[in-house]
Amino acid sequence: MDDSYGGGYSRTSYNAGGGDDAGGFVYGGSQGGSQSGAGKGYGDDTLRPVTIKQVIEAEQAYPDAPFRIDGLEVTQVTFVGMVRAISPQTTNVTFRLDDGTGIIEVKQWLDADKQDDTSKQAFALDSYVRVWGRLKSFNNKRHVGAHVIKPVADYNEVQYHLLEATYCHLFFTKSAPGGGGGDGSGANGGGNDSMFVDGGNGAGGDVPMNDGLRMVSARARQVYNWLSNSEGGNEGVHANIISQAMKISIGEVLKCGEELTSAGVTYTTIDDDTFAILDY
Amino acid sequence: MESISTPRISSQLIDSYVGQNVMVVGKVQQLRGDTAVIDADGQITANLNRDAHLVNGNAAQIIGKVLPDLSIKAMSSVDLGNNVDFKVAQAVVDATHQCRDLFVFDADKGGMMMG
Repeated sequence: MDDSYGGGYSRTSYNAGGGDDAGGFVYGGSQGGSQSGAGKGYGDDTLRPVTIKQVIEAEQAYPDAPFRIDGLEVTQVTFVGMVRAISPQTTNVTFRLDDGTGIIEVKQWLDADKQDDTSKQAFALDSYVRVWGRLKSFNNKRHVGAHVIKPVADYNEVQYHLLEATYCHLFFTKSAPGGGGGDGSGANGGGNDSMFVDGGNGAGGDVPMNDGLRMVSARARQVYNWLSNSEGGNEGVHANIISQAMKISIGEVLKCGEELTSAGVTYTTIDDDTFAILDY
Repeated sequence: MESISTPRISSQLIDSYVGQNVMVVGKVQQLRGDTAVIDADGQITANLNRDAHLVNGNAAQIIGKVLPDLSIKAMSSVDLGNNVDFKVAQAVVDATHQCRDLFVFDADKGGMMMG
């Protein structure tokens, strides 16, 4: 994972952190070898569907720190909004977008080499667009730097986006709905009104919310919980024993173990089938 | 950046939003002059602005202020065509009110929230 190191160092925000170098290093650096959400390189980027209110309320621990929503770092976001104003500037086009939850400025930087781009950006006022971009702060004013802005052709996309943003919020704050694998299931969009109820009720397992654990499946989280309550110690627990104790198939235990290990919350000990909690 | 919300509501919720700006997505049932009747889990009367181009039977999105007689004085009305799933629209209304944190800046908090 060398690239995650490289990404970390090239960020100017590190220098801007001033005397906090040590802290900054622990944050991004110690996790260099893992794929958990704590890393800094592009390889760890996430793309999260959000409402504009979430963008406005995203927190920063200190100026230039990464933005956090629901306590989780966000790098790239996507949202929908109605175009309220378009103001072409010399270096960018600034849009004011309103999705009914708040209003935010979105800047699309102009590429001097591609003059045609400006003409393509003719969105009608009051039409819906979808934005993919990054949260930025400039002169203490927050905006979104857009990579892509596209018109929304089907109004259902607006509704579906808001539901997906809700789903993600519930997923991260209340844990996944029972049995559902992490990603994707929220993207169905259809008229499945029961999904919020599920999200709420699925809050059963009180998992200590470690950044790595947020990304794993519900089943893997159960295995993690079981492991953290077992007496395995440093030597770990063999998949066979986990399988018997939790009454799930050995194949599933191994899958969960692999998932947890790649999330950086467990590691394998004496052989590839023996897992222990990674404590640090 | 402005911390102003127009919460998505249905006719069942309109009486708790008198005096506030809201957003309604529903089916246009009647068009009479400057007045439209929108079905959004029940009927809502909207007083349209003059440049509105709603279509009977199509979906519409109305943004406006709820008046004391529970009609809406529209500031913006958009025709959404005939391909809008109203069950999903209702799900969004439900989500808005179950997870207010994601959707609604409450008016009494006011002010800009700078980051």
